[in-house]
Amino acid sequence: MAAVALKNQLNAHIASMFAAGFLDKQFQELQMLQDDGSSPGFVSEVVGLFIDDAEKITGLIAGLLDQPVVDFDKVDALVHQLKGSSASVGAQRVKLSCEQFHSYYEAKNRDGCVMALALLRNEFYDSRSKFQTMFQLEQQIEACS
Amino acid sequence: MLLDAMMMEPRKGLMGRERERDQFPVGMRVLAVDDDRVCLKVLEGLLRRCQYHVTTTNQAITALKLLRENKDMFDLVISDVHMPDMDGFKLLELVGLEMDLPVIMLSVNGETKTVLKGITHGACDYLLKPVRIEELRNVWQHVVRRKFSNRETNNLDFSKEYSKHPTTDSYHGLSQVASGSSDQGGSRASKKRKEPHREEEDEDEGDDNDNDAQDNDEPSGSKKPRVVWSVELHRKFVAAVNHLGIDKAVPKRILELMNVEKLTRENVASHLQKYRLYLRRLSVVASQQASIAAVFGGRDPFLHMGAFEGLPSYQPFASSAGIPSFNPHGLLSGVGTAAFGLQDLAPSKAIQCASSNGAVSHCIGDTNKFHIANLQENQQANLAQGLTAPLGQPQLQQKWIHQETSDLSSFFSGSALANTMSGTLQRVTSSSLPPVELLECTQIKVGAHSSIRIPPASSGLLESTTKLDASFVAPEQDMDQKGKFPERVTVLPSESLIAADRSKCGTRSSGSTMLLLSDTERHSKYLKFGVASNSRHGIDEMVNGSFNYNGGASVPEQNDVYDFGNSKLHGGFNSSSCNFDGLLNSIIKVENDDVPFADNDLGCELFPLGACI
Repeated sequence: MAAVALKNQLNAHIASMFAAGFLDKQFQELQMLQDDGSSPGFVSEVVGLFIDDAEKITGLIAGLLDQPVVDFDKVDALVHQLKGSSASVGAQRVKLSCEQFHSYYEAKNRDGCVMALALLRNEFYDSRSKFQTMFQLEQQIEACS
Repeated sequence: MLLDAMMMEPRKGLMGRERERDQFPVGMRVLAVDDDRVCLKVLEGLLRRCQYHVTTTNQAITALKLLRENKDMFDLVISDVHMPDMDGFKLLELVGLEMDLPVIMLSVNGETKTVLKGITHGACDYLLKPVRIEELRNVWQHVVRRKFSNRETNNLDFSKEYSKHPTTDSYHGLSQVASGSSDQGGSRASKKRKEPHREEEDEDEGDDNDNDAQDNDEPSGSKKPRVVWSVELHRKFVAAVNHLGIDKAVPKRILELMNVEKLTRENVASHLQKYRLYLRRLSVVASQQASIAAVFGGRDPFLHMGAFEGLPSYQPFASSAGIPSFNPHGLLSGVGTAAFGLQDLAPSKAIQCASSNGAVSHCIGDTNKFHIANLQENQQANLAQGLTAPLGQPQLQQKWIHQETSDLSSFFSGSALANTMSGTLQRVTSSSLPPVELLECTQIKVGAHSSIRIPPASSGLLESTTKLDASFVAPEQDMDQKGKFPERVTVLPSESLIAADRSKCGTRSSGSTMLLLSDTERHSKYLKFGVASNSRHGIDEMVNGSFNYNGGASVPEQNDVYDFGNSKLHGGFNSSSCNFDGLLNSIIKVENDDVPFADNDLGCELFPLGACI
């Protein structure tokens, strides 16, 4: 059935995300929570929140770095928050790029931060599109059954 | 919906509670606080999976409001550290003080210093994000533990119900150990004494006992009226305890000293027990961590390291030490590794003061080129260590001590020690005690005019070997046979470090902190005279100058902290005599103005401050 094919596709997709390092063990924990049946749609809900928040945060960071005088403490706080949420979701690549950001922030190096932000954003956008593919497949599966 | 469920709880009454208790930890009521909604959602999901009752909020202020509205509404609080509206540590403090609930900290940041900060602020546990469900499954233990230990303190005759619970024995033991001697000690010792004890009790206790009798079967049997231990109240408490001495502080006397209406002996007793546990935790932690400086700047309910902030002269130190950005070798991190410049001080005789608790160790070897790196490390470790207030625990800072020992022993042994009080110092060096600690003031003439009274034994040693003008504060313990100084009196490092730095010893009169470690057991036996190691420049000058702590050298001690009537180095060196009962450290800080150093001529003499190691 179409649903089965779609499910296979979804599984393969998620597997590739793991393989490429987009996802880590934490994502499996979330899947486990959902799979118990007690919270259907838990994963998509959480990931959805994550995507929205990350978008907002990266925007804020960009804004801060644009200022004539950069408030590195705020940048740090934002990166920190993003790191926490990406870690909670299992978005490994995003989390790692947050960690890299840290050293630039520490050095109060604006240019370094700008570069780190660019990298972070890239990782985020990549992750986001992967997640979105995942959601689409899920929705299609849902539509089938 | 959840909140409704929560509100239902109190109405369930005894029966409901009993039912629930049987299933505990199922149904444990958790309040989760995190400003990040993703993390909060995930946390909620995990907690629900553990079958806890979860209430979430993304604002610390809301959380406090919820908690204050009904103190019995929750069993446990889990909170993020970094929150915009209120610092997680502050929330932790307030919850601990006001509601006496166990609080677990959460953060993506697992740096030692932050974890330590959490601990010193009273967190029951510190979890790293992303939290795993296995960890959350275990958090109920914190609730149980606290309840048992509260009960312990507040019920004088819990004999019967306690004997029923096998687990209580262990907690019993714990509280017994923790609370040391107290009025209740007797009752603890013999749990069975119901009647006789009743007679001795105050009336209040009778009431509490009655309450407890009703609550026998409930794990959350704290129907006792909750006293809000405000900061002010706690301060009084600490002052009273300090006055009495931690070992001798019994609830009755504390209560008398505090002189607060409506405060019962049980309230004090339970608070005392918590306090002791807290101190014990600190010391345990301190001994486990190689670099502990978490206390730095922490607004900790029990610790008020406020003095640290108040010293403008410390600024340079602060910046270099990077106090806010503490890292394990933090204090000295800013200073730079090779910075000590001790090498330049080759002929210098600086006083190396290291306190196990982060005494600032100025390694001062006399003619030797000290291995700066070694020193540095030691100092760093020392500094780090020093900041905590080790409660004179023997195991304090074992780790770094060993580390330092290995580092320093080499050069120490060959160092000026030989010149100095050869015998003693060498003995000291060869001892297991970390050489670093000490007072390796090979040829420093410490002209501290103000007198710090040194216990006779040590002063004798001093006199014989040094031409020390001033007496250094030395612990009161007897010198051991090796002639080492008795305990190190630990002085809280932070200030000392700072002081040292700004002192630029030698020429300036700036205060150098005296770090005196009081370490009762193992290491002890040597006096550590610490000056802020941080100041490499300071060291230079220190080395060159003489330490003349004249008159006004004030030695402000760290007020609220470990001042359990023990080590108070008062005001100037001249004025105070230090009593080191050994447990707690206080920081001795010599004010800038007050300590005029002689000019750069140290006229170094071998400086046998016992510990010079």
